Order: sequence, then structure tokens, then C-alpha cells
Amino acid sequence: MATKGMNVSHVCCLLVCFITAVLAGRDFYNILGVTKSASIRDIKKAYRKLALQLHPDRNQDDPEAPDKFADLGAAYEVLSDEEKRKQYDQYGEDGLKEGHGGSHNDIFSSFFGDFGFMFGGNRQQQDRNMPRGNDIVLDLEVTLEEVYSGNFVEVVRVKPVAKEAPGKRKCNCRQEMRTTQLGPGRFQMTQEVVCDECPNIKLVNEERTLEVEIEQGVRDEMEYPFIGEGEPHIDGEPGDLRFRIKVLKHPLFERRGDDLYTNVTISLVEALVGFEMDITHLDGHKVHIVRDKITKSGARLWKKGEGLPNIDNINIRGSLIISFDVEFPLLQLDDNQKDGIRSVLKQSSVQKIYNGLQGY
Amino acid sequence: MRFTLNTMNTVLQALTRWLLVLVLWSGCDGRESELNVVSCGSLVKLLNTRHNVRLHSHDVKYGSGSGQQSVTGVENADDANSYWRVRGQTKSPCQRGAAIRCGQAIRITHMTTGRNLHTHHFTSPLSNNQEVSAFGEGGEGDDLDVWAVQCDGAHWDRDVAVRFMHVGTRVYLSVTGEQYGHPIRGQREVHAMPTANQHNWWRAMEGVFIQPSAAPLRHDEL
Repeated sequence: MATKGMNVSHVCCLLVCFITAVLAGRDFYNILGVTKSASIRDIKKAYRKLALQLHPDRNQDDPEAPDKFADLGAAYEVLSDEEKRKQYDQYGEDGLKEGHGGSHNDIFSSFFGDFGFMFGGNRQQQDRNMPRGNDIVLDLEVTLEEVYSGNFVEVVRVKPVAKEAPGKRKCNCRQEMRTTQLGPGRFQMTQEVVCDECPNIKLVNEERTLEVEIEQGVRDEMEYPFIGEGEPHIDGEPGDLRFRIKVLKHPLFERRGDDLYTNVTISLVEALVGFEMDITHLDGHKVHIVRDKITKSGARLWKKGEGLPNIDNINIRGSLIISFDVEFPLLQLDDNQKDGIRSVLKQSSVQKIYNGLQGY
Repeated sequence: MRFTLNTMNTVLQALTRWLLVLVLWSGCDGRESELNVVSCGSLVKLLNTRHNVRLHSHDVKYGSGSGQQSVTGVENADDANSYWRVRGQTKSPCQRGAAIRCGQAIRITHMTTGRNLHTHHFTSPLSNNQEVSAFGEGGEGDDLDVWAVQCDGAHWDRDVAVRFMHVGTRVYLSVTGEQYGHPIRGQREVHAMPTANQHNWWRAMEGVFIQPSAAPLRHDEL
């Protein structure tokens, strides 16, 4: 009897929970896969990664794909806006004042460009017949700090867009040979420029915001394309806008692949008796170094996992290689000090002559 | 006594209301101009407002003067060869996304050929002014690549015409309307002249304008 009662209340509880879950609206944080305290950059990064995976054109055999994609767009639209996110955190989806304005394709194209859904493969087929506008390549300078932690760059694209205008214009102009009869049996061939008539187009400047991601571990010369955001073509489709990454030199660290190299100068005393120090890394965290043995000039310390994240898997990191060189003191030693040093170091005279440039 | 207190009250209320309006208005204004400036690293097309042509360059060399790559003005708005990148100087690079200040010295690099807008003591072919060329390799030329943006106000606003004054020879980037023949028929001569006049106003038109970024996340230990 008791168990039956519990079962009924159990079911009622579940039902109530289910109803409130449904009524409360979608869990936008869950859809994006981010925590409640995610930064705006985490949200942009999550959207960009998932949008590529969930786009309906990529999941043509999944009937729920358009809904999942719409959910993703709605989640980004709310969580990327400070005001809307505050309202959502307090009141849930129902608490949001206006309906979802911009189309979800707008959000997608601000990360990938207008025809981003063509995903490379399809574009080639169209290329042959349709004339294309010029591509634009912009060198985007990034710091090593940005390569380490990632970042987003907002960009305003002002571009000419073809709009319908009244009247007609000449298009597809070509040279044709015209034959005219000058008299019986006498003909003249002339070249003439012949054009078709097309609806008139005028170019109007439009603005839109694009989001470029500087991915963690990005390499020099890597490109991020935005399809269709290049120069327009009046008889065809627009070219692409490509951001080419240029990694700037850093005053402290040198990059080789995913490894970082740095140099530290220590005093002769520190080289002989040992030392302890911190190196501040690219994101501010400290790398601690302790030496209690003698450190030779040219000695290298290998710190695994303290290099740059690998762009294909940010959980794999390169190493930080620290090379030490020794600064000798600028003083003249008197005879007593010289004797003192001889007795402390107890190193006999070496004076070995050899060819250092040929590795002998 | 009560009468004056009441008037003081209403005066104070009116004052605070006006103060609020002023603060909001100035605040909004500030944000708008931030979005509409030309920033370091941006790609831009420059329109000469008097002659309605865009600053342009291409792999065609001058037949006279220095023989360097020519710089012209073109009428059409959809040529990628009219894009120029705004950069700082070699020894003092500007921070990506930072708004260019009025008076700031910059280099203007041609996007497709990587050469810098440049002028020197050579005569221009059509108008006998100072020749303006595109010089350098991979964005690096010499000290004669430096131009100062002249405008009123704090920053180079996209909606406002500015002048470009050459720092090395104190002349202004200009167009006076002379046209080339074959092989660049219809393109206008771009040159530099010592006087500031209606021929040296330029406006930022199409382009890719980089906004300032937040600094990357830091994990400072306590």
C-alpha cells in the first residue's frame, strides 16, 4: 500500500517537473555547451564550432537538423547580448521581452560569410560558368598572447551590394562580325560590339559585422575565409574575403611549431650556487624554476606542457625550452681572492686546445 | 520663503534632467564615433571627393619619372586593386583596431601588390606636379612612405573627408582630373601638390574595418 502511494506521488512529481521544464523554455547554456559563467568569447567560440557541425546543409538526412540549428541560433542571439542574457538568467526564455529578431542565417554568415553553407565542395561546380568578383585578402596581425589564449576580432565590412534600379543596362557585350551588302555581289564584313539587355543594377554600400576567430594555436599564414564577402561582380557572384594570420614577434618568447623558446641570463654566483625564479607566461600564469646544482652556460631546461596548444587538439601542448647563459662579474680579483677561489672550486688547470668549429 | 523653495526645487529638477540628457547624448555620441572610425590594420578604398575617383594601383609602371609602379584614380567601385591597408610606421607599429588619430603618421599599403603609397622629387607625367608611386616589397619601403592624416576632431572618421600630407616632402595627395590614355584609358592621374585645396579631400568608402579587441584572457595567480 505504501509503495503504491509512493509510486503515484513519484509519477506526479515527474509530471510536474516535466511540465515546468517544457514551460520554462530551452536551456540555452546547455545548447551551446557552456557554463553559466561563460565569457562572451567562450560563447562565440562554442557557437562557431557547433554551427559548422549542426548546419542543415551538412545534416541533410537528419529531420531535426533545422530545429537544432534554429535552437543554436536563438541561444547565441540571447547569450551574446548582455541585456538579453540578464533577462534570460532571471526569467528564463519566456521572460525575454521581444521575439527573436534577426534570422539565424544572419548570425551564421557573420562568422562564415554569405554562402558559407556551400562548404567548399559545391562552390567548385558553380565556378566555371559564373563570373566571380575579386577576392580580398587581409593580413591580420596577432600577438603570441592571442595564439596562446585565443581571441575574437570584430570587423565591420562595408561593401557594394547590387540592387535593382529602374531601366535596363547593357550586359554580356561581345564582338560580332556583321556582313553588309554594298552592291550586287559585293559584301563588307565589319566588327561590331553587340550587347544584351539586362535589368539595371546599381551598387549600394552596405555594412555588416563579421566575427573572425583567432583559434588557439593558429599558425602563421593560415587563412580564415568568409565566402561571398569579397568584391561584387555585376554579372555574377561576389568573391571571398580571406583573413590571413600574421603572428607578430614577441620580445620574450620565440615560437617553433608548438614549442616556445626563451632565454634567461643568470649571474655567475647563481650558476654556481643555484637559484629560484618565476617566468610569467603568455596568459599571466607563472612557471616556477628551481636549481640547486651548478648550471652551465648554454644549459637548457625543458618544461613539458608549457608551450603553445596544438590547433587541432588544444589539450596537447608543446614544451617551453629555457636556455641559460651566465653573466660574469665585472671586477678585478686580488691575489687573496684568487687563492680563495682556487681552494673552493678545487678544479685543476684544463687548457685543452681543439677545433671548436668542426665538432672535434 | 515657500515660494522660493518650490522654484529652487523645480529648477534643480530641470537641471538634473538636462544633465542626464547631456550625459546620455554625449555618451551615445562617443560610442557612435568609435564604431565609424578608420582603425589600424583596416582595409579601405579612398574616394577623392572632388573628382569622384578611388585611389588605385596595379602592376603597371610609369613610363617616365621614377619608372616605379603607378598610382591612379579609377571610376568603378568594384575593383579589388583599389584596396589599401592602413598601417603604422616601421619603427612604431600601431595596435590592431586602434582608431587612427588626426595628425597620426601612417603608411598606406596597396593590398594586392604589397607596395606602399610613396612620393618623391620626380615630376608627374600629365600635370607636372609631384609624382606619387607605389614603392617597396612586402609592405616595406623607406621613409618616404609616411603620410600624416589631416582632419578636424580626435580621430579619422569614416564619414568625413580628410587630407593626406606627405611627411617627407610636405605635399598633399591630390587629383586634378587629367586622364591617361592606353593602356589605362580613363584613369586619372594621382599626384601630390604643395597647396591644401578642394582637390586633396579623400573619404574612406568600402573596406574591412577592424574593431578593437578585448585583451586575451589572463590567468594571473594570486
